[in-house]
Amino acid sequence: MKLTERQTDALSELINIAFARTGAALSELTGHRVVLNPPEVAVYRTEELRPALAKFVPGDVASIHQVFAGPVAGDALLLLNYEGAVHLTDLLTDGHKPSNHLDESAREVLTEVGNILLNACLGMFGNLLKVHVTFSVPRLHLETLDELIGSITEGKTDLHYALVVYTAFHIRDSSVTGFLVIVLSVASLDRLIQEVDAWEAQQSR
Amino acid sequence: MIRQMTTERIDESTSEATLLNAAVLHWMRDLVAHGIITTDSELNVVEWNHWMESHTGKRASEVIGSNLLDLFPELIERRLDRHFKWALEGQVRVLSQALHGYLVAMPAVAAEHGYPQMQQAVRISPLKHRERVIGTLTVIEDVTERVAREAELQAQIEARSRLLSSEKLARNEAERANRLKDEFLATVSHELRNPLNAILGWSHMLRLGKLTPANAERAVETIYRNAKSQAQLVADLLDVSRIISGKLRLDVRALDLLYVVNAAIDSIRPAADAKNIRIQTVLDPAAAPISGDADRLQQVVWNLLSNAVKFTPKDGRIQVKVQRINTHVEIVVRDTGVGISKEFLPYVFDRFRQADASSTRIHGGLGLGLSIVHQLVDLHGGAVSVQSDGEGQGTTFTVTLPFVDVVSGEKEAEPVHLTQGDEVISFDGLPSLEGLRILVVDDEPDTRELIQEVLKECGAEVITSPSAAAALTALEQHKPDILVSDLGMPDEDGYSLITKIRALPPERGGDIPAAALTAYARAEDRMRVLRAGFQFHLPKPVDSAELVTVVASLAGRAYKT
Repeated sequence: MKLTERQTDALSELINIAFARTGAALSELTGHRVVLNPPEVAVYRTEELRPALAKFVPGDVASIHQVFAGPVAGDALLLLNYEGAVHLTDLLTDGHKPSNHLDESAREVLTEVGNILLNACLGMFGNLLKVHVTFSVPRLHLETLDELIGSITEGKTDLHYALVVYTAFHIRDSSVTGFLVIVLSVASLDRLIQEVDAWEAQQSR
Repeated sequence: MIRQMTTERIDESTSEATLLNAAVLHWMRDLVAHGIITTDSELNVVEWNHWMESHTGKRASEVIGSNLLDLFPELIERRLDRHFKWALEGQVRVLSQALHGYLVAMPAVAAEHGYPQMQQAVRISPLKHRERVIGTLTVIEDVTERVAREAELQAQIEARSRLLSSEKLARNEAERANRLKDEFLATVSHELRNPLNAILGWSHMLRLGKLTPANAERAVETIYRNAKSQAQLVADLLDVSRIISGKLRLDVRALDLLYVVNAAIDSIRPAADAKNIRIQTVLDPAAAPISGDADRLQQVVWNLLSNAVKFTPKDGRIQVKVQRINTHVEIVVRDTGVGISKEFLPYVFDRFRQADASSTRIHGGLGLGLSIVHQLVDLHGGAVSVQSDGEGQGTTFTVTLPFVDVVSGEKEAEPVHLTQGDEVISFDGLPSLEGLRILVVDDEPDTRELIQEVLKECGAEVITSPSAAAALTALEQHKPDILVSDLGMPDEDGYSLITKIRALPPERGGDIPAAALTAYARAEDRMRVLRAGFQFHLPKPVDSAELVTVVASLAGRAYKT
């Protein structure tokens, strides 16, 4: 499945609204201006996910994973490389000295940040689709990219797609890049794209 | 029938599972070590577990039925009510300790961790029934101890990285010091070789005996001057080593500072005259007496003056000002010399530093003088500072010393007048050693002869011994009045000699007054010398006048045990 340019633009615009909310929420929380790069959206089949992400996330990956269920169901993840995860928590918590590991408190902060971002995006999708989405409790995982991809494709026999959104958090003259990955079944993605088309048509009317 | 049975069984098992669930939930609420709050969709409290009761002091019966936001209005002030509203919209919310601190204010259980409020990690989740949110569930975890432990760990990591960087700094500093020492050694060998060349050259010509009397006199004069300058270098080096090892002791007494300054000026005057440099003095009589080590203070002034003369071109001017300012005395030495660049100013008092360290530099010296000044002034509880408007603008050194009002009437507090700078040794005025028989022990023939000559010059009869064993024989044979012995000798050293002598009865010379000669003029050497049984300690190279004075003074008093 490939998105048309208009669909990609529309999806980017919608996600950008969620990103703006996330930025505002994080700014308020930390007292520092937090801005997220405008999203760059691409769709991959889950089998293609590994090569697509390996370029950007070599080594260990910190992911905040939330499962969502309802008429549209799937997995939503915020992906950061390990160093990026450490840096982001330092930036958000005014870490006095750059640390090189994620302690329990740092993991909690990452979980909250992922929670805010994923809630904003999934909430936006729910509104768009006019459906209620049920969220699981967000969980933080530290593992290799292979292990991560293995865990999200596990048990999924039918075709799944991944909406990959590349972005970067800008905070205190520093930036940390990350990915938002939403894994959907074909049916869920179809439905999402239909709604995106409708929204786009409504906007241009 | 079968169907009915199946339905019944299902009903039974379902109801059993439901009952079990209810029982688990009932116990779970109170068994978990977390706070659990359940509300309805209006945020009215439905459940309040035992943990919440014990940590907030509010009993379940007091809070159930009340609105959570009424119970804790602070949630609205801190904009945390939003999380409950989002939960009511179906979102699960995570509140981290690092970003929020806590949800509901409760006193920390272990307040010794430095947190008056319990630090909390919180999860708020919607409670749904058939796609409809019917309430919220909040779980609060006490993370105070964990946070404190993490902070402690972080502090340790930081301390370690600080230590690492300070070690790195120390290593750099050590490398720099090493480099300076290398440069210094190069300078030392150069500076020591220079006078040596003149000494060797002229003494060689003297030995050939082909010099005219006028030239021979010039040769001796040159040799003497160069040896003197070498002795000064060695003295400086010894001073530095004593200062570095903290062994330099001040002989503090009441002294006339003006006399000290004048003595220093007098000894530098020939050098200044040679370059036609005028020395002006402005001396405030109120600046004396002060308390200090007269020799060391004279050394301070002399070093500053010699520095000024060295760096001031011909026909220049040096001003020396001594004045009393409130509780301190100021010695200012100002010259019209080459000045000091801004870059070098901070390093002026560093050891082994000269602004121009190149091999072709114009000004000789080891760069120790000012470092010694700094240390000596420091030891006096004073301070020395330098000021220069830049190269070619002259330099001003200011020494500040604390003014201690000396109680008059105390005999020991009488101002000490120094001996004048010993530019030329004169045997006039030295005490006579006529009638004294002196035993000189040294394994080096040259030193032995030199001492013999000096003592003979003052009228003493001198017996020499090249070793401790020979000295013991000479002692019994010649019955000398005074013993002057070297310390470092092969086979048997001076310490052993004096110990043996002191063990002898007086009639065999056991109480002979004795002076020790040594190249090591450190305080601990001095102490050891005196403890061993010598009365005096004479540092090498031996100053003739000092030797004669010491011997004369020894002749005046016998050794008493």
